[in-house]
Amino acid sequence: MPLTRNRFYLYLSLACAVGYGWLGLVSRLKPGEVGEKYEVCLVRHFLHFPCPSCGSTRSVLALLQGDLAGGFYWNPLGIVIFSILLATPIWMAYDLVFKKDTLYHFFRLFEETLRRKWVAIPAILLILLNWAWNIVKDV
Amino acid sequence: MDAQHVDMFLFSNSKYLEESQMYHIRERLLTLDESHWRMLQYMPFHDPVIILIISLITGPLAVDRFMLGDIGLGVAKLITCGGLGIWVLVDWIMIMNITRRKNTEKLMMAIY
Repeated sequence: MPLTRNRFYLYLSLACAVGYGWLGLVSRLKPGEVGEKYEVCLVRHFLHFPCPSCGSTRSVLALLQGDLAGGFYWNPLGIVIFSILLATPIWMAYDLVFKKDTLYHFFRLFEETLRRKWVAIPAILLILLNWAWNIVKDV
Repeated sequence: MDAQHVDMFLFSNSKYLEESQMYHIRERLLTLDESHWRMLQYMPFHDPVIILIISLITGPLAVDRFMLGDIGLGVAKLITCGGLGIWVLVDWIMIMNITRRKNTEKLMMAIY
């Protein structure tokens, strides 16, 4: 089944619900304690080193406490996730109320842009750099 | 297209395609002219077994999703530690069917 508009909004709502649920679960912890208490990353679990997105939850928690430097330190991808979690419900509500599909079109445009080599190669390099930094920090 | 060519194509590519769509694909291929034969022979399909192996090895990095062209979902899977590990497990079960579906969609796009 192709990712139609309605299916996209359904999946996105579920993803946001899981994201906020996850944040609710770990929100009582300090950012540094999350990795010790909940280990969801299969790479870290089996290979004993972090994946490119390890530390994202800690980053989002740090950002929620207003610690921008901490958010960047734990994982810069956390800033992206924080922005998505913040903007998506508002954007989805706007589309649903005004019966538009701007978010869906933005997603399609994002996919098309990332398919271009001159965007994809720097993006992959950034992810690899971030991964290397994660391994050095051992988050 | 010649029925022998159609059956040969379906026989050699059945593992890449959705079984439920085989009848429709065959019916459609029979209505096409022979000029499509060469295009069909070189149609690049993803092998579901290869994608499953890639998913098993590099699931949390979402390489399987990127290979199938799901760029947006791939990014989402990558930046969330493979959907908190759950998406990785679900993909291990689903990815072969997803690959067959993607292959079938690609073929449908080419012949319709």
